[in-house]
Amino acid sequence: MSAPLILLPGDEVPSDHLPSNNSNPLKLGPGLRLLSQPSSKPDATSHVLTATQAGLVTTDAKRNTVSILSFPNRRYIPTVNDLVIAQIHHSSIDYFHCMVTPHTAHALLGQLSFEGATKKTRPMLKQGELVYARVLSVGVGAGAEVELTCVNPATGKSEPGGLGPLVGGMVFEVSTGMAARLIRASSSSAEQGDVIDGLAVLSELGKKLESLGGFEIAVGRNGKVWVDCSNAGDSAIKATIAIGRCLQTTDDKRLNPVDQKKLVTRILREMKLA
Amino acid sequence: MVGPTASLSILSRADGSASLKCPTTGYNVLGSVNAPIELPARRDALKPEEATVEVFVKPGNTTAGVGERYVEGILRSVLQKVILGRERGFPRRGVVITLAIIGGDAVERGDSYLNILPTLLQVSLLALLSAAVPMSMTFSTALLGVTKSGDIICNPSAAEAKAASSLHVLAFSSKGHLLLDESQGRFEFEQWESVRERAFSICRGMATPGADGDVTMGDGGDEARINGFICETVEDHLHRDYSWKIDSA
Amino acid sequence: MAAPEAKVAPSIPPSLSLPPSQFARLQPHAYLLAHLSPPPASNQPSIRANGRAPSQFRVTSANAGSLTHTNGSAVVRIGDTAAVCGVRAELLHTEDIASWSVSQASGSHKRRRLADLGKKSAEEDEEDEEDDEEDRAHIEDLNLLVPNLSLSTGCAPGFIPGAPPSALAQSLSHQILSLLHSTRLVRADDLRIWYQPPNLGPEEPERHNEDEQMDMDAEHSPTSESKPREIKAFWVLYIDVMIISLAGNPFDAAWAAVLAALRDTKLPKAWWDVDNETILCSDNISDARKLCLRGLPVASSFGVFEADAAAGWRPNVIPDAEEQKAQDQKRKKGSQQSWILADPDGYEEGLSQERACIVVDKEQGGKGKTVIMKMEKHGGWTVDTEELRQLVDISARRWDEMKRMLDQC
Repeated sequence: MSAPLILLPGDEVPSDHLPSNNSNPLKLGPGLRLLSQPSSKPDATSHVLTATQAGLVTTDAKRNTVSILSFPNRRYIPTVNDLVIAQIHHSSIDYFHCMVTPHTAHALLGQLSFEGATKKTRPMLKQGELVYARVLSVGVGAGAEVELTCVNPATGKSEPGGLGPLVGGMVFEVSTGMAARLIRASSSSAEQGDVIDGLAVLSELGKKLESLGGFEIAVGRNGKVWVDCSNAGDSAIKATIAIGRCLQTTDDKRLNPVDQKKLVTRILREMKLA
Repeated sequence: MVGPTASLSILSRADGSASLKCPTTGYNVLGSVNAPIELPARRDALKPEEATVEVFVKPGNTTAGVGERYVEGILRSVLQKVILGRERGFPRRGVVITLAIIGGDAVERGDSYLNILPTLLQVSLLALLSAAVPMSMTFSTALLGVTKSGDIICNPSAAEAKAASSLHVLAFSSKGHLLLDESQGRFEFEQWESVRERAFSICRGMATPGADGDVTMGDGGDEARINGFICETVEDHLHRDYSWKIDSA
Repeated sequence: MAAPEAKVAPSIPPSLSLPPSQFARLQPHAYLLAHLSPPPASNQPSIRANGRAPSQFRVTSANAGSLTHTNGSAVVRIGDTAAVCGVRAELLHTEDIASWSVSQASGSHKRRRLADLGKKSAEEDEEDEEDDEEDRAHIEDLNLLVPNLSLSTGCAPGFIPGAPPSALAQSLSHQILSLLHSTRLVRADDLRIWYQPPNLGPEEPERHNEDEQMDMDAEHSPTSESKPREIKAFWVLYIDVMIISLAGNPFDAAWAAVLAALRDTKLPKAWWDVDNETILCSDNISDARKLCLRGLPVASSFGVFEADAAAGWRPNVIPDAEEQKAQDQKRKKGSQQSWILADPDGYEEGLSQERACIVVDKEQGGKGKTVIMKMEKHGGWTVDTEELRQLVDISARRWDEMKRMLDQC
């Protein structure tokens, strides 16, 4: 891979940075747009890729995509199919009203959109409880409501696995950029090695805490991470806090994989877990 | 001469923010951008096709007055031209830019706003970049004064600006268009042309053919090339943000 | 009654042609574009929807002195935009200025210079640089010029009663004030009220009787060496502009009204009365004197109309400035891409994003060269050096026109 290329809005993406895989059409990620260069001959218009945001050009040769990694969004804007961790605010006849991000309108989660839920078996969630849900629709225009679901409407199953109420555990706040990395890191399987997207912290924690019974984690795109170590018995709370601290420090200090491993060792030793 | 110093994404609640300190003029401006956000109860601002750009300028030691209204209007018209308000998620919503003047001489009632206008424009640009608002191009600005003897001075201090016979603020897009010109004081058109040429070389830092055919290089290391300065600030920050990505590559 | 009509109606197809006024409302951009670029076959000249050539200003008229309660006033009409301006002078005693004694006592040489300069500027028109600085400091730091602009209720459909001053009104107020300051139109000396204290020194006791006549007499003040004249008060000019009808381009109209009103302004003769320790004014009109303004800066505003209304929608590469220039040159023969419209009316303002405003003056009453006092453009990138050069020429021609008109009123 060539040297990192940083573009400013209006800059052209040089063609040697585009993935050379020609079997699939090239897909454009965020921060790019395709402009046509008008010329005197109508059939000879050429096309140019330009950046609309300042950021790092990233390409994925396998999927034949190119996109701009810009400044991480501070604020989460719901997008369809994102996995989020929402907190129940109150419930009405048909819906639970949940908070996804602070200071925004509540998102709606249908009372029956859980796996196997019927009128009689639906979960009775109370204020403050957490759900892991998928964004079903975001509506159009100002004031549109965001709708969540914990079930795939086509199959009636909670797909991907783990959607539904989150019981026990604790929620930590991370940046939205970190949340996206954590999702990528936890979704890609172990065969890619320890370090995925520069994140070694999860796999390292997994190894170190295996003796305590491991832990469960759920990452919401809205910058929330739910951690549960209920298998760890007496040190469950300690282990939960340690995981949260590791994730937040990695996020704040932008640690590289080596420092992440050091951090995990240090924090676990401080908390007398390892 | 010490160049300006800038920092990006310094506010944690805003979508994007930047601050810029200019040592020669002494101005220090903090800017924040929130975009795209809903603008409820602003029926006049709900344009079905594109985003509404709102600019607020807050002086450090007093409430905003008529001068701020005027400079907000100029900033809005420049920024509207470079922001792609028709990208996904932007129509019917707002791009709200708030600029607080936190250091430097206060702009008194009726004073010219030209001294601080370039700083305000650059902070807005940096804050927009840090908020990842889609834009068609970037721009850079220059403040120039012409003294009574006809010399052109770059980034005049407040006292120099007062003594100057004319003051000029110019902004050039990253493609070389003249986006903004604000000139006041007594001058002739030929003077303005040489001011434009000088401003172009400061902003874009490239060789501009002089009127007599010879090529004058951008004013070298002394005057920081504004375009390059913005690039560097953004690159530094992105390098830090994506160190994990760049290191692993 | 209705039945037969209903039968007849379908046989006549509804008319597909619209009256021009409706077309103008429905498709404002296409309407103006059709006027500016008529089909080549039609042999029609390119003119604006309002019948003007692109660089033509609207018919302008001015009338000075129409308000009797003011020290000076003027009404200026530019097409359907009308502005009224009234100038009212009020006294500001120097003892009421908190920082006055401090700033004046800071250096006695300054006071002496002030006195000298007062004499000088009375006889000669050329002023030196130090006088400039003093002049600027007095007018700007003491806020001797207070313009305010209001857009009256109903001047255009959007203006409802009771609304706070709109951003437009506020920024126009600022533009007028900063232009008054930067052109230095009003001389501070016209606004100063001097007092020559009698010399009560023991060697010249007989002077005491004459001090009444000495008051404002600058020409023979033999005592000024020993006792300098002092400023007892300033005139503060409150310049209120009201736009009574807004049909585009309010700044040109407002500035012309301010200019005409200041040219019309007469300040009564005022002097310091020692016995009453106050300022007295003469009510004799023949004693009042006019302001002596510096030059005649005239403002001209322009709007840019782009042929391609959907340019913002088109995902096209924006060409570099250099390429664009080359393209435009090539295109010169073909269709024009943008027009710079002088003095845009309300309809045209709604269709143009890029604005330019140029304030010019001519030295020696129109015989000298053209000097630019202010030049601004923003909102687009059509106007560059070449266009600005043309606009300055147009503004210079407009200056002649305005001068003729202001001299008549």
